[in-house]
Amino acid sequence: MTDAAVAVRGLTKVFPVPFHRQWSRRKPRDIDGQPEGVTSREASYQSVVAVRDLDLRIEPGEVYGLLGPNGSGKSTTLKIILGLVSPTRGQTEIFGRDSSLVESREAVGFLPENPYFYKYLTGEETLRFFGKLCGLSGARLRERADQLLELVGLTNARDRRLSTYSKGMLQRIGLAQALIHEPKLLVLDEPTAGVDPAGSRDIRNLIVDLKRRGITVLLSSHLLAQAQEICDRVGILADGVLVCEGRLEELIAIENQTELVLENASDALVDQIKTLATSSNAKLIARRRSTTTLERLFLDATSEGSNK
Amino acid sequence: MSNETAAITRHRAFSVARVFAITTNTLTELTRLKVFYVLLIFALLLIGSSIFMARLTFQQEFQILKDVSLGAMSIFTSLLAIVATARLIPQDLEDRTVYTILAKPVPRFEYIVGKLTGVLLLLAISTLVMSAMFLAVLYIREQAVLHETLRQMSAAPREQIDDALRAVRSSALNIDIFPGIVIIYLKACLLAALTLFVSTFATTNIFTIVVMVFIYFIGHLQATAREYWLQEHSTGWITHSFLALVALIFPDLQTFNLVDDIVVGAAIPLGLFAKTAVLGIFYTTIYTLLATFVFYGKEL
Amino acid sequence: MMRFAYHAAALRRSVLVLAMVLAFGVMKLPGERALFVQHRQLHFRGVEFNLDLREQLGQLGFIAALSGFRSIVADVLFIQAHVAWERTEWSRVLLLFRQVTTLQPRAILFWDMAAWHMAWNASVAAMNDRTQPRLALRVKAQREYFALGKDFLERGIKNNPEKPQLYETLARLYKEKYKDHASASEFFAKAAALPGAPGYEKRFAAYELSYCEGREREAYQRLRQLYDAGENERLPTLITRLKFLEQKLNIAQDQRIPDEGR
Repeated sequence: MTDAAVAVRGLTKVFPVPFHRQWSRRKPRDIDGQPEGVTSREASYQSVVAVRDLDLRIEPGEVYGLLGPNGSGKSTTLKIILGLVSPTRGQTEIFGRDSSLVESREAVGFLPENPYFYKYLTGEETLRFFGKLCGLSGARLRERADQLLELVGLTNARDRRLSTYSKGMLQRIGLAQALIHEPKLLVLDEPTAGVDPAGSRDIRNLIVDLKRRGITVLLSSHLLAQAQEICDRVGILADGVLVCEGRLEELIAIENQTELVLENASDALVDQIKTLATSSNAKLIARRRSTTTLERLFLDATSEGSNK
Repeated sequence: MSNETAAITRHRAFSVARVFAITTNTLTELTRLKVFYVLLIFALLLIGSSIFMARLTFQQEFQILKDVSLGAMSIFTSLLAIVATARLIPQDLEDRTVYTILAKPVPRFEYIVGKLTGVLLLLAISTLVMSAMFLAVLYIREQAVLHETLRQMSAAPREQIDDALRAVRSSALNIDIFPGIVIIYLKACLLAALTLFVSTFATTNIFTIVVMVFIYFIGHLQATAREYWLQEHSTGWITHSFLALVALIFPDLQTFNLVDDIVVGAAIPLGLFAKTAVLGIFYTTIYTLLATFVFYGKEL
Repeated sequence: MMRFAYHAAALRRSVLVLAMVLAFGVMKLPGERALFVQHRQLHFRGVEFNLDLREQLGQLGFIAALSGFRSIVADVLFIQAHVAWERTEWSRVLLLFRQVTTLQPRAILFWDMAAWHMAWNASVAAMNDRTQPRLALRVKAQREYFALGKDFLERGIKNNPEKPQLYETLARLYKEKYKDHASASEFFAKAAALPGAPGYEKRFAAYELSYCEGREREAYQRLRQLYDAGENERLPTLITRLKFLEQKLNIAQDQRIPDEGR
């Protein structure tokens, strides 16, 4: 059996609440009296349980979406997987290597939510900086930076300072730096948050492209429609607990319903189908004119005049 | 699959290249600070202004020039060490740049060391610039005074002229100033490392700077507290333990003020210089390790 | 402090860090003390335990003086003293120089200037003081300024025993103000014995000795020795004093130095 891209077992994270905030917050929303499975010693201080008893297993090559409302523990989970935050209990591994080990990070690229990079660096310098942190140098690094600038479509902006970049461009350069050392796993925290539809589409296309190249992607999002488009599997977190998990099509399929989409169908034809359905014990429950999505409309409209 | 994994396991526990990348980046970041230029220009103006102080005798002039210049260097480097370091880590935390860096295979120790080395480089550059300015001003004034002396003494015997010129030269530059400058630099390094340590558990820059200003002043009085603690036993136990705490927690910054004695011509034995330098490096190392320790326990 | 997270782990960590700081504090003590002792031996850091200075400068000034601003504070006070001198405010000059020399006890220049202002400038001013009609009181004031100058020099020497300059000034003070040739000779000789002393100190010590009643023989030998040392030492004053002593001691003609026959 090969190692899972990400394995999380029995993960619990309790954040201490700074003393001064305990007084100012009268009725904290997500503070439990005595969280389940948390020892009394841990609970003797007021604390926030960000993640509770989480088990996850992400197979190599899949795109996994960690979904949930703001504050449900998605970011904390990702940070623990990346070793940025230490778990209170439980274990996380990346390709079989414990997250607390620095070398586990060789196989992973990370794009934080709303990333800020050093504003005084140009796009290319940013990639070179992060490349050096991953042990790249010389021709190899230059080549890799060129490739990635091409991949994320920032070749023309390579010599511009990041302070002049738009939100979408920052997100793309962030994606490029996450990929600089050719990681097998990509962790993206809200990759499309705050990006306009065109930028968001670009990023989703990139993710699909990466999946095609065999890269495992773990992303968190609260934008469900977008996650639906690209994720193979999703897990839904609520208050730090994984409430639902599975393959996307299985989760959202309505077992006893089938959709037909017809072009140039006359009213007579539809009536005929309806009769046919009734005669075989089926029932037509909806009949409506197909619509495009607002996003599609927006993308078509905006891409006509300008070539983005 | 297993082959691939083997290929990437060759991770180095400490990599100079990674530290260097963080160092150069930090240096770039710091040279973009306006406060750096304001302080540097102020210090240079102070040193440069000494050139117009011709009202006094040359001994007085040289002495004041040296006092003011080295004093300005000492204060500027200390201040820069504190101000530049205080914002370094909090800024990265606030901007979340630290996430992207530490999500790479970079040990936190390397991050801390890289950041600190960036500050130390900046301090070294500033010290060099100020030293160059100081030596240039001193040289210009020395030449002027030598010319003047020669002109006034043109009729005097050779021996007397030589004596007079020697007097001018010896009161201008004494070679002990150079170890003095090195000690000024080491004091700034110590303060930078200490500031980094404080900034790992403080949450705001202002908090760090205020704490550091306190430490700066108390550090200069530490020797006094320490000697009272170790020699006077007549004090009450509260005073006694207070003095002990001051002596143990704070560094003895007075030790690094050798330059106050050097400017007036005191010679610094090599052994003393070496011991002071070792103490400075020792402090800097310990504070860096402490900063690393706190940073390792930090939830990002 | 309030920003600390009061969680068991965090608390444990804070205590651990504090313990490490204290342990490091114990480790550093011997090194700090060794340096401190060495500084003391070299007459550095003369100001730290000076309670007088604390009273003179006030608490804030004292802390500033100790916090890396010491030489600059001394310079500012020195320039103030210079201004006070130009206005002939002698008591202010005295007060400021006391502070300056306490702050920078290693600065020869400051001790030298302080003594010069007292013994040479203030003393003359006191003698010429038109507001004081009684001569006896003017002379008394003048003597007091001599003593102040001498006191500055003696304390300066105590702080800088290895530098010849202050010994020389003290010798001049004895010679010019007290007319005490024996003491003057003694201090010129002390200056001459130190490394870096100018060549004339030794001659001056011998000249002064030649004025001392009862020590002519000793003075003669020293001067003769210098004369024999070579052409460079045979300056007009040396020859005059030597001839004077030859006369006084009745040195045999054949042992006397030649007349102008150099």
